Amino acid sequence: MRMGGLLAAPAVLYMVVFFVVPSLILFVYSFWTAASYRIVPDFVFSNYLNSLMSPLFWKVTINAILIGLVTASITLVLAVPVGYYLVYVSRSQVILYLILITWFSSYLVRIYAWRTLLGTSGVLNTILIQAGIVDTPVGVFLFSRFAVAITLIHIYLPFCILLVVSSLSEIKKDLVDAARDLGASPLGAFFRVIAPNAANGLVGAFMLTFVMVAGDYVTPQMLGGSSGQTTGLLIADQFRKTGNWPLGAAQAFLMFLVSIAIYFAVMGLGRATGLVVKRRPIGKAGG
Amino acid sequence: MTIRPPVIEITAAQKMFGSFQALSDINLSIEQGEIVTLLGPSGCGKTTLMRLIAGFEAVTAGTIRIDGKDCAGQPPERRPVNMVFQRYALFPHLDVFENVAFGLKVKGTPKAEIRERVQRMLHIVQLDSYANRYINELSGGQSQRVALARALVNGPKVLLLDEPLAALDLKIRQHMLVEMKRIHAETGATFVYVTHDQDEAMILSDRVVLMEKGRIVQIDRPETMYAAPKSLFAAKFLGETNLFEAAMAGDNALGMTAVTGSGLRFHSSIVPASELRGKVIVSIRPESFRFNRDNDTTQSATGQVEDVIFIGSRSFYTICLADGVRVRVQVQRSTRTSLPKPGEKTEIFWDSDNVVILPQS
Repeated sequence: MRMGGLLAAPAVLYMVVFFVVPSLILFVYSFWTAASYRIVPDFVFSNYLNSLMSPLFWKVTINAILIGLVTASITLVLAVPVGYYLVYVSRSQVILYLILITWFSSYLVRIYAWRTLLGTSGVLNTILIQAGIVDTPVGVFLFSRFAVAITLIHIYLPFCILLVVSSLSEIKKDLVDAARDLGASPLGAFFRVIAPNAANGLVGAFMLTFVMVAGDYVTPQMLGGSSGQTTGLLIADQFRKTGNWPLGAAQAFLMFLVSIAIYFAVMGLGRATGLVVKRRPIGKAGG
Repeated sequence: MTIRPPVIEITAAQKMFGSFQALSDINLSIEQGEIVTLLGPSGCGKTTLMRLIAGFEAVTAGTIRIDGKDCAGQPPERRPVNMVFQRYALFPHLDVFENVAFGLKVKGTPKAEIRERVQRMLHIVQLDSYANRYINELSGGQSQRVALARALVNGPKVLLLDEPLAALDLKIRQHMLVEMKRIHAETGATFVYVTHDQDEAMILSDRVVLMEKGRIVQIDRPETMYAAPKSLFAAKFLGETNLFEAAMAGDNALGMTAVTGSGLRFHSSIVPASELRGKVIVSIRPESFRFNRDNDTTQSATGQVEDVIFIGSRSFYTICLADGVRVRVQVQRSTRTSLPKPGEKTEIFWDSDNVVILPQS
C-alpha cells in the first residue's frame, strides 16, 4: 500500500497542481466581477444567473450538446463493430495500429481536408455533378452541422475505437460462444451478453467522446458556418476577446454540470432499457 | 429395443487451420445415452473436434450428422447440442437462475415453463437454494454445477463438456466425477466429454476415443483399451506399463511369442490389431506381475528387488532383471503371502493374457 501510494504520488501531485488547483481558482473567479478588462474579487452569482438567462448561451449550449450527442452516438455505433472485430474476430494488432496512425496527422490539416472535400468545388460536389445527380454544386455540405459531424466523427472515431476495444477486451470470447451455444444469434449475443457486461465501458466511451466533441470549438467554427457556435467558442471568447474571465469561468462550470447531467441521463436510459445492469466484479469463478 | 440412428455421426472429417492440419480422417459415431470421452494430450485436436460438433468451427472436409441431419453451415445456435465450457463461461451480469434460464428465454419459452424447468434442473444439480446468487459468489464446484444446469436445461441431444473439471482442485474434481455420473443417469443425455486426464476418462466413459496428433488412434471401452491397447501410444497414455524391446519369434493358434535381446520370452494370447513381424514392443502392466507361481503360469523371470514403495493398499516394486532391465511390479497388500524384501533375489510371474505385443511405432 505504501509502495502503491509512492508510485501514484507523481501523477496525483501533477493532477493537484495542474488540474485541481486551477479548477478551484477558476471556480473562485466565477463569482468575481469584471470591469473594463480587469477582474475584481467579489462574491456574486450574476455570472451564473446572466448565463442561464441568456438566450445566446442556451442557443450555443444546445448546439454543442446536439453536436456532441449526435456525433458521439454515431461514433460509438461505428466504433462498436470495429472493436468487436478487433477483439473477437481478428485479434490483429496491426489493424489497431493502422487505425491509430490517423492521429499522426494534424488535427487542423484534417479539418482543412474536409473543407476541401465538402466545398462547392470539392470532391463530393465534383462526383455528384459528374454522376449527373445534381446540376450545380451543393453548398450545404460545407458550413453545416453535417460538415461538423462528419469531421468530428473522423477525428474522434479512432479514440472511441480504442475505448471500445479496451472495454470489450475484458469480456471473454467464451461468453459470446456460450450465448451462441444457448441459442442466441450473433446480434442477440451482443445485446444479451456483451452490451450488459461492457455497458460501463461503452457508456464511458460515449461520454468521453461526447465531452471532447461538445468541447471542441475549432471544428464547428471552421466548418459549421452560422451553425458553428458552441459553448466552447463562447467561453473561449470570454477569455480571449472580451476579457470577462469570471463569466467564462461560470459558463465553463455550467458546461461541466451539463456534461454530468448527460452522463446520468445516459446511464438512466441504459438502465431503463435494461442494457446497463448493476455491474458485478468478474470474480475468478465467473471469469 | 428399437434401432435408432447414432445421435452423432462423423464421417471422414478433416479440419485445417491455414496450412495446419488440426484433424484428419475422423470417423466416429455416438449412440444415444452414451458417455464418450475424447482423450488425448494437449494439441491432439480433441477440443477442435468438440468445437466442430458445437458449430464454432466448420469442417474442411467430411460431414457431421447430429440426430441424422447433416449440420454443415448450421451456426451453433441452431444445433441441438449444448456445451459446458472449460472456464464455465457463466454470465457475470446474471444470477444463477437467470444464467440457467438464458437458453430457454432466448427461445421464447413461456415464463411459467422456464421457472419450472430451471427449478427442476437446479434441483438435479443440488443448487436449489442458490437461484438468486450471483456468479462471483459461487465456488468453483458450484459454478461447474450451474454450467451443467445451464446446458442441460435446454434438453440437448448431446451435452458437450470441454475439460469441465480442469479448473477444480483434486478433491472437488473426484466428487464432481461422481456427480457427473449421477446427473447423466438422471437426465439420460448423451455426453461427449473432452479431457486429457486418463483417470477421468476411465471413470466416466462408456467408450474412450483416444486421439493423437489430430487422428483417432483407438475407440474402445475403457477396460478394453487398458487391457489391449492397439498402439504404443495407447499403452503409454492409459495407465502405467512396462515396455520391452523384442523381436517376433513365431505365432500359433494359442498366440504369439516375442523374445528380447537377452533371451527373455513373452507369450501373448491377445489378438493383435495388425500383423506383427520383426521388431516389436512388449507391454505388461505393473499389476500383471506376481511373486507367486500359479498352477498354469509358464512365464517367469528372475531379478533382484531394488526398491519398494509402500502406499497402503498397494506396494510398488522395482525389480532389476538379470539383463539389467528394470521392471515395475505392483502388488496388493496381503497378510498371507510373504513378499520379497529390498536386495533379495526373486522370481516374477505373468500370464499370456496380460502380455500385449505392439508394433514399434
